[in-house]
Amino acid sequence: MKRRTFIKSSGLASGVLFVPNFLKAHDQLWPSILGHKKLVIIQLAGGNDGLNTIVPYTNDVYFKNRVSIAQKKQDLLLLNDEIGFHASLSKFKNLFDDGYVTIMNSVGYPNPVRSHFRSTDIWQTASSSKEILKTGWVGRYLDSVAKDPVGAIEVDDMLSMMLKGEKINGIATKNAKLLYNTTREPYFAKVLESSQDKHLNEHNLGYLYKTAIDAKSSAAYIFEKTKVYKSTWEYPKNAFGKQLKTVSEFINSGLKTQIYYTSLSGFDTHANQINAQKRLLSTYSEAISAFVNDLKHMGTFKDTVILTFSEFGRRVKQNAANGTDHGAANAVFLMGENLKSPGMYNAPPSLMDLDENGDITYEIDFRQIYSSLLDKWLQTNTTEIISGNFEPLNLV
Amino acid sequence: MELERIYHLYKRAGFGITYSEAKKQSSENKKQVINNLFNSSSQTSPLNVPIDEIKTLFKNNPGKLSKDNKMHLRKISRRKLLEFNRKWLYRMGETDEALRERMTLFWTNHFVVRERNIIYFQSFNNMLRQNALGNFREIVIAVAKEAAMLNYLNNQQNRKKKPNENFARELMELFTLGEGHYSEKDIQEAARAFTGWRHNFKGDFVFNKKIHDFGSKTFMGRTGNFNGEDILDIILEQSQCAYFISKKIYSYFVSEKIDKNHIEELASVFRKNYDIAEIMHYMFSAEWFYDKKIMGNKIKSPTDLLVGMMQIVPFKFKKTKELAYVQKLLGQQLLNPPNVAGWPGGRKWIDSNTMLVRLKLPSVLLNNGIISFDVKGEFEDSLSEFNKKKNVGKKLDVESDWNFFNAQFKKSSYAELNMIVLGANLHEDTEAFIDSFEKESKADYCIQLMSMPEYQLC
Repeated sequence: MKRRTFIKSSGLASGVLFVPNFLKAHDQLWPSILGHKKLVIIQLAGGNDGLNTIVPYTNDVYFKNRVSIAQKKQDLLLLNDEIGFHASLSKFKNLFDDGYVTIMNSVGYPNPVRSHFRSTDIWQTASSSKEILKTGWVGRYLDSVAKDPVGAIEVDDMLSMMLKGEKINGIATKNAKLLYNTTREPYFAKVLESSQDKHLNEHNLGYLYKTAIDAKSSAAYIFEKTKVYKSTWEYPKNAFGKQLKTVSEFINSGLKTQIYYTSLSGFDTHANQINAQKRLLSTYSEAISAFVNDLKHMGTFKDTVILTFSEFGRRVKQNAANGTDHGAANAVFLMGENLKSPGMYNAPPSLMDLDENGDITYEIDFRQIYSSLLDKWLQTNTTEIISGNFEPLNLV
Repeated sequence: MELERIYHLYKRAGFGITYSEAKKQSSENKKQVINNLFNSSSQTSPLNVPIDEIKTLFKNNPGKLSKDNKMHLRKISRRKLLEFNRKWLYRMGETDEALRERMTLFWTNHFVVRERNIIYFQSFNNMLRQNALGNFREIVIAVAKEAAMLNYLNNQQNRKKKPNENFARELMELFTLGEGHYSEKDIQEAARAFTGWRHNFKGDFVFNKKIHDFGSKTFMGRTGNFNGEDILDIILEQSQCAYFISKKIYSYFVSEKIDKNHIEELASVFRKNYDIAEIMHYMFSAEWFYDKKIMGNKIKSPTDLLVGMMQIVPFKFKKTKELAYVQKLLGQQLLNPPNVAGWPGGRKWIDSNTMLVRLKLPSVLLNNGIISFDVKGEFEDSLSEFNKKKNVGKKLDVESDWNFFNAQFKKSSYAELNMIVLGANLHEDTEAFIDSFEKESKADYCIQLMSMPEYQLC
């Protein structure tokens, strides 16, 4: 196989990218439709143990159920005479003390599902536990509001369900340059150049060409717009820190993108939870603190809200392997400069009133949070995005 | 039968066909070609990975497994499932029982399970293979009795005193009738009929009388001491059931664009005996199956893409994990469906990212190209592993058999190669574009064809 020949025969791309007119139209429409508010969504994948994160250190039930993994008062960062943060969260606590954090307790949904996959689906599609939706809630936002793939970016190499719409999908990229270079490969460029408008109107083939052209123009847009700005802020040197740094660069270089999504995995702590969670929370706390301070420094924090969730919490009672099993309702964090209810949004979960599996029951439906953010923060009509009526909360 | 029709039939009913085989069949008529397809799938070859390690573990630990042993078992199972994935994919590319394997894949996305125990999974998969072209009633009952399904839809927890409705709900919503053709009450009553359907540790079906509800049930307007089989028989009496399955078969094998008349034709065939081979035979024989609007207008699933490529240039991943990565990047890891509804398919396979990967894939797999991937950590991954991954610009370790390709296509024309790789009815722009390719080597030429968006269709 002569690789050289293939490259040669695949030809030199002309510098001009063929973009059909109907796609160009989006750019002109954009500013009037959308504001400049940003929403950053972070999933702690695997089911973070909320009870050992926001610890009810005066609660006997907590200690009785968690003989070897309970966090002791002397190790915690105390908030009040009931609650303390896990010791790893010191930087996160600084943000909390500055009034940049709202903590919502007991967030979940009716008939909770304890499978990672199904529960992640539920959170990503904003469905009930009994229905299966084929689009993500951010995808539906792209369909009905942004109408452009660049409306939402996942800082990863694969696109999650959350950003998949009926007609429009978001873009996944961790490295705008790499994505851009992929779309610029001579052969690829040449293939797209060869297509004509009428080609694009054809059934599935048109859809494939449109998607490829969208990919190319989105990648070019993201790369061109972001290449001039590099964050000088110091982030922790790990994958998550790097991802948040990328989000900051995207936001601060003025991308029109409104919603960003990224995740930190490893929270499935069935065994030896103490050390694993300690490292994970510390990674989260340090990266998120760098991120907030970077945005503040650049003056973009006031227009940014950060939502952190996990697909479920852990069981109240620890298991025999010094870990915890899959649970239900959990704490959710919201961060921003102009929060309506900074601090603890509601009381810590009742450990006396658990469900039949011994899990925390929900008090706030997660779709209330989504609805509130869409409505109050992104100034969007939520009805096409979240089905069902969810009482808005006083968040932003 | 014309070469292009043979290719169409085999891309949909199987996973493609080798050039020599297609040539051979092109002298036969349509009826003969379709009969060949069915005849070669009359046998069932089960697909198994060796599980001696697990057997030894059980033999050395009679009674109950300790916690460490259970963990060990999970670990072996994980590895074996990956092995099964690989073996299954290659089977689809190599088998003579093409239709049977295609139907097996179809049913796995209809009767969806996620199962981490290799023994249960393997048994489920082979049960589908065995019944893939049999009777629909039999396959549903067999599905209901498999450990993998009893676990996945919680019938293991379905007992008289505390019925669990999960299986009963999906039985009607996803497996037989579709939403809106039953009531909540029907679900509750059906759930009662399936109480006590369980499996033992080995994965064998057991009926536990003690927790079965023998009381009277009222289901879809009928009253009696129904058991699970009775419930299914009442469901099969609904004319909606044959329509629902026919629609699913039509949108998978023919087109996502629904043609009600064609589906009704299929349903009336299916309603008679619920014979799966019969409805498939009818469909592949129908003239509308070969309509120009149908041929080459289906978006390939990632599995179709990989296996279809293998038919033209056989290739093997040297590392099973890399195969799993590629499947993940494309959005379909066999054995890991997104949820109980399975992969939605069609246009849902395609987003900017998967499109880019798809266009790059032929040169990556067959021509030592480089692919950038950094796959999200599994839930089990530790943080340090997550941070350690540096896969950007990685070269995949793939062995491709170009000798096979060269031998096959030595005598074919370039026009034939276009038809085989991209299908018939190419758009004139595409024709003009591929006309500009250098024709020095068929191998290079083929990779370029495979890198066209048109190659995503079949």
